[in-house]
Amino acid sequence: MGDPKAFLTVPRQEAGHRPVYERVCDFSEVEQVLNEGERRLQASRCMDCGVPFCHWACPLGNKAPEWQDAIYHGDWELAFKLLSGTNDFPEFTGRICPALCEKSCVLNHCIDAPVTIREDECSVMEKAFAEGYIKPKQYERNGKKVAVIGAGPAGLSAATRLNCLGYEVSVYDKMQKAGGLVRYGIPNFKLDKYIINRRVDFMTQEGINFICGTKIDLEKLPEGYDAYVVATGTPQARDLDIPGRDLKGIHFALEMLSQQNRILEGEKFSQKETVSAKGKKVLVIGGGDTGSDCIGTCHRQESLDVTQIEIMPQPPKDFNPATPWPYWPQVLRTSTSHEEGCTRRWSLTSNKFLDDGKGNVRGVEVERVEWVPSPDGGRPQMVKTGEKEVIECDMVLLAMGFLKPQHPEAGGNVFLCGDAKTGASLVVRAIASGRQTAAEVDSYLKDK
Amino acid sequence: MSLTEYIGAVGMNILTPDSSHCKMVRLPQPVITNTELDTLCNIRYKGFYTEKLPMLFDPSKGEQGLSDALEELCREAERSVDKGINYIILTDRGLDKDHAAIPSLLAVSAIHHYLVSIKKRVQTALIVESGEIREVMHTALLLGYGASAVNPYMAFAVIKEQVDKGTLQMDEVTARHNYIKAVDKGLLKILSKMGISTIRSYRGAKIFESVGLSGELLAKYFGTVSSSVEGITLKTIARDAIRLHSQAFAQPQTDLLPMVGQYAFRKDGILHAWTPEAIATLQIATREGSYAKFKDFTSIVDSRKEPLFLRDFFTFKQNPIPIEEVEPEEEIVKRFVGGAMSFGALSDEAHETIALALNKLGSRSNTGEGGEDNARFHGTKDGVSLNSKVKQVASGRFGVTTEYLVNASEIQIKVAQGAKPGEGGQLPGYKVNEIIARTRHSIPGISLISPPPHHDIYSIEDLAQLIFDLKNVNPQAKISVKLVAESGVGTIAAGVAKAKADLIIISGAEGGTGASPISSIRYAGVSPEIGLAETQQTLIMNNLRGAVELQTDGQLKTGKDIISMALLGAGEFAFGTAQLIVLGCVLMRKCHSNNCPMGIATQDPELRARFRGKADYLVNFYTFLAREVREYLAQMGFRRFQDIIGRSDLISIDTSKMDEKTSGLDFSKLLHRVDSPAAISKCRDQKHNIFTVLDRELIEATRYAVENKQPVSLSYEIVNTNRTTGAMLSGHITSKYGSEGLPDGTVNVTFKGSAGQSFGAFLAKGVEFRLEGEANDYIGKSLSGGIISVFPPARSPFEASENTIAGNTILYGATSGKIFICGKAGERFAVRNSGAIAVVEGTSDHCCEYMTGGRVVVLGETGRNFAAGMSGGLAYVWDKNRNFDYYCNMDMIELSLIEEKARKEELKALVEEHYRRTGSKLAARMLADWNHYLEEFIQVTPIEYKKVLQEEAIRKIQQKIDNVQRDY
Ligand SMILES: Cc1cc2nc3c(=O)[nH]c(=O)nc-3n(C[C@H](O)[C@H](O)[C@H](O)COP(=O)(O)OP(=O)(O)OC[C@H]3O[C@@H](n4cnc5c(N)ncnc54)[C@H](O)[C@@H]3O)c2cc1C
Ligand code: SF4
Ligand code: SF4
Repeated sequence: MGDPKAFLTVPRQEAGHRPVYERVCDFSEVEQVLNEGERRLQASRCMDCGVPFCHWACPLGNKAPEWQDAIYHGDWELAFKLLSGTNDFPEFTGRICPALCEKSCVLNHCIDAPVTIREDECSVMEKAFAEGYIKPKQYERNGKKVAVIGAGPAGLSAATRLNCLGYEVSVYDKMQKAGGLVRYGIPNFKLDKYIINRRVDFMTQEGINFICGTKIDLEKLPEGYDAYVVATGTPQARDLDIPGRDLKGIHFALEMLSQQNRILEGEKFSQKETVSAKGKKVLVIGGGDTGSDCIGTCHRQESLDVTQIEIMPQPPKDFNPATPWPYWPQVLRTSTSHEEGCTRRWSLTSNKFLDDGKGNVRGVEVERVEWVPSPDGGRPQMVKTGEKEVIECDMVLLAMGFLKPQHPEAGGNVFLCGDAKTGASLVVRAIASGRQTAAEVDSYLKDK
Repeated sequence: MSLTEYIGAVGMNILTPDSSHCKMVRLPQPVITNTELDTLCNIRYKGFYTEKLPMLFDPSKGEQGLSDALEELCREAERSVDKGINYIILTDRGLDKDHAAIPSLLAVSAIHHYLVSIKKRVQTALIVESGEIREVMHTALLLGYGASAVNPYMAFAVIKEQVDKGTLQMDEVTARHNYIKAVDKGLLKILSKMGISTIRSYRGAKIFESVGLSGELLAKYFGTVSSSVEGITLKTIARDAIRLHSQAFAQPQTDLLPMVGQYAFRKDGILHAWTPEAIATLQIATREGSYAKFKDFTSIVDSRKEPLFLRDFFTFKQNPIPIEEVEPEEEIVKRFVGGAMSFGALSDEAHETIALALNKLGSRSNTGEGGEDNARFHGTKDGVSLNSKVKQVASGRFGVTTEYLVNASEIQIKVAQGAKPGEGGQLPGYKVNEIIARTRHSIPGISLISPPPHHDIYSIEDLAQLIFDLKNVNPQAKISVKLVAESGVGTIAAGVAKAKADLIIISGAEGGTGASPISSIRYAGVSPEIGLAETQQTLIMNNLRGAVELQTDGQLKTGKDIISMALLGAGEFAFGTAQLIVLGCVLMRKCHSNNCPMGIATQDPELRARFRGKADYLVNFYTFLAREVREYLAQMGFRRFQDIIGRSDLISIDTSKMDEKTSGLDFSKLLHRVDSPAAISKCRDQKHNIFTVLDRELIEATRYAVENKQPVSLSYEIVNTNRTTGAMLSGHITSKYGSEGLPDGTVNVTFKGSAGQSFGAFLAKGVEFRLEGEANDYIGKSLSGGIISVFPPARSPFEASENTIAGNTILYGATSGKIFICGKAGERFAVRNSGAIAVVEGTSDHCCEYMTGGRVVVLGETGRNFAAGMSGGLAYVWDKNRNFDYYCNMDMIELSLIEEKARKEELKALVEEHYRRTGSKLAARMLADWNHYLEEFIQVTPIEYKKVLQEEAIRKIQQKIDNVQRDY
């Protein structure tokens, strides 16, 4: 901790985003970076709390106060070691984590200006790569083999941990490249795919074997391994089963997001296959983060305009008394994609898709709903009001979340991990799950 | 105090002095560097022989390996002694994959006690070379269990690494020197806490209390006969040592050691009593006023997976009755009181909020040791009083005025604080702002140090006297005494009960403040359970429990905690940290830095503005707690809280919570019930002998004068059984007129004879006491505006200035008023004076100790250690023998001749007044030739005070300049 009063004298400074007019023309990362001096100043704001709520809130238990102090002192190598002690991929979370830690940071509680923990985290890792603090190591092999199915963040972190413990690890993925949703879901403007390549190369150098483009039948796992980690994510998106669903122009969010990322990697798609918003009026159904990623992608594909609708009511703006500090606040969130422009509406349910007569979608009939508190204190009940209207559009993106996959009870030497185990979640939770699963596998195999 | 040691063999026959007694090595401090150890090993000088014995054992052999190794080590040591080796170096340097280190304390203590038992200990010195030693406490323990010197080679290696890497930007020698210096300071602090002043008396003194070690282990290796709660055996120690050892050699190695969160919460670290969930849930529950959430909170705390406190093993015998039959919450809640937290440590806002909440509930909040702004005595907010009902009297006596005391319902003598026993409070200068300075009668910006002991309590009789003093000044108030849980506290408490305390507080070690020194947070004090049980049992055995109430504190949080402590004997409960958490504290632990972001433990106005606590939150907290207690009472089948106090038979021990380490615990001593018909809870009041004191007569005789502010003159005979004369009268006047008192010279009383202790204590403004004769100790204790003069009988043949006329510790904690003593006084004259004016004709040692304000004129010799810890006020000393500087403690002061005009005038006026009031012959002589005598005076100015005086002078000049400019 630097000056114990720094939190009062040094204001929180975010690196900020590139200007909208510039960033909507490309797919490069939106977020900027601070220079080293400013970064250290930001880190000096941390109070090194006796009870660090940031650390408590982070699913990985990242020890922010320790590495903030190291950053403040300019000891980036120490910061890197401290950080990588709990987090295998700080370069991912440092970019796309919703920063649960910052919401719980004591400084968020008392002056509404938490330490810039996430950005600091990212800068530590970038420094580590730039300065070569992170070096591939070779670990003594213990003669046991583990297969990891699914190369998303959960699988990758389980693989990393197991490799360190001396297991020979092979990672399978049905896609051409490793990374899971981080590669094929999260848009490049949030996380450049070079970041994933760098990490996967590093893991390869440490001796992890990647077998991509191979879909594994979970009923018939490949032979020759002592244990299996199943980290296959949540492949099934939630569908909207209403009249007109089979009209043309209605897509799952991931169809578009994933294709866009693949195009940027140089893959080619035929005219027919291409899902593009160019010149279209787009309606995004689903008010979450996936929806917001769709909005940003539409902008960059030069859509005419975008509307996002959500069935739940609009959350309060700054403070929600129902979710006080240190808990995650349920409040209105405005992403960079929202800043780029779009109409956002709440409390709307979709009744049917409308046909333009040629089998294409031309709009959606929506109806306003109200949410009444349930008499038994449970979840509020939805009541339709009968107020209907039509939202005109020629493209619909369904971003209503993912279904929790039904896996047969894993057991014996098969371990479930990441979204596959918990249902759709966050990268940081996926990594945490990967680490935990690796420990479970280790304690299972250790004495075998 | 000194850390210097002479180590080596003590000559066999100390009765015949010869050169063999001098074969010693002198060490300036017990921590020695690697080079020094090397030198010691290689003294090529006749009669110095060294040998290294490895403190290692074979980890593959487990417990047996360890116990064999210890036995072998003891025998090796014996053989070395027989060979004439006078420096045995116990080392764990040889540690490798197949050799684990024997915990150094175990090894040292085992050898020490073995050698003592075969009468061969003094022939050799034990020196420990161990990688384990890092903290001050490690060194203290090794020394306390017999080591002569220690070499913490690992600490030095870490320092070297830090220097090499550049993280420590200084050269290695300086860094190492700083480390040793820090350990030295820590050792001195630990020594002083135990009342020991040289390392030679500390070595081998074993003044430690071990909690959680089995009697078997203690007897075999630590030379201790009993264990309070039993605990682990050698087996567990071996297991732990082996686990650490194998961790050290496990693969793969990480380059960072794990941070286990000793002082800060870590998810993967050691357990802390306050977890983030517990803090958040408690805050939300009390803010929203939701009892359901409060139950969530208590269940988080009570269902902790691993027990942290001894009480966590308790369950209670059930015998349910309908809850309606149990006494109401409003009754139970009165048993909960606010912990002592000084305003000064806490912000004004926080302190007031606590008072408000407890007053609303009809309970009591505590001022803490810093006094209280007198505006609060009668101030209200929404019709509720802001006055803290418990007024603390601590060793510093800050803010202890007569007015303060008469506004108390309970006066608490703070003998020690659980989390930092033996240490005085300390308020750093930057926290002392205008208002704090005002309430503490000190000067803004000057650090305030409380002396470790009360200078008027050196024995139980002294304590009885102080209780008597306080009872006199405020007969309505209960007098309580705060002790800390430790072994032997029962005996002390029995003494305190006999000294007529109404209430005894057993303060547990867990009630730490973030402002305690780090070495105290972890290593000082014991669990309140142990202290409380011992106290309860001793009081019953002496049939004293019925006359006193017992209160306890130490991280109490839930209804279960309350019931547990009640069953062990407590009838009242104090809360510290929990209160602050309810008011928004998030345990950032920045209390000492004045940077509390929640505006609780800070004086910074900007931060104070952030305070968000409300009295209602605390009202909720205490009410919920009472509700939960009531539920427990119903489950246990008791209608009144009173009926469960001391019923330790209702506790059963939940062995399912025990693990390998805790399974050895034995609660039978803790839960023991004394077989006696004596009361087990408070049932009668103490009989204070304040009904026949002289003051009753004084009050009667001055009634008209006091009512009408008319002067009155009286005269009495006095004998030394008349103790604390003047206190009750002053209390009476002050409750009527506040600190204003009466106009000067209203009540004039002349006494003839020999006054008992505490003559003129608390004397209020407008009261003047003249004593023709002599007086005992404590004259003018906490003087609050009155004037006292003491002089020999008119026709006495002796020279007054050559003879002692008054006892020790005069003017202790005085805040205003004057005293003139025609003759010499005893030790500690004007100790902790913060505003009174005194003239005396000579003193013994420690005059003006810890003084923070006022004037002291000494017309004669002073004794040693003059002005130790003096940070304010001025002293003028007539240096007739020209040797005063020799007697002075120069740490914090400066000496000079009297130069300024204002000072000269002040001194002359005081000597004149002295003459006028006492007829002093010495004063007469001096005034007759004043200019000559003036040159022989020395002015004593505290350095901090000098700065303040200069600033004041400049401010005055500036004001003049401003005025001049305005005239143009
Ligand atoms: C659009 C979008 C944006 C998001 N944005 C964020 C964000 O900003 N921040 C955040 O923290 N989280 C975000 N998330 C969530 C986050 O991406 C996921 O929680 C996380 O990636 C889950 O990791 P995982 O490893 O469990 O699963 P996944 O990342 O889904 O990885 C599963 C992998 O398994 C492979 N696989 C599946 N079945 C098989 C099989 N049978 N054989 C072989 N391979 C198979 C898949 O190809 C995939 O590579 C976002 C999610 C989406 C969809
Ligand atoms: S991983 Fe996310 S929650 Fe954890 S410290 Fe980083 S940004 Fe915060
Ligand atoms: S909660 Fe915020 S201020 Fe406290 S340690 Fe964590 S990052 Fe630092």
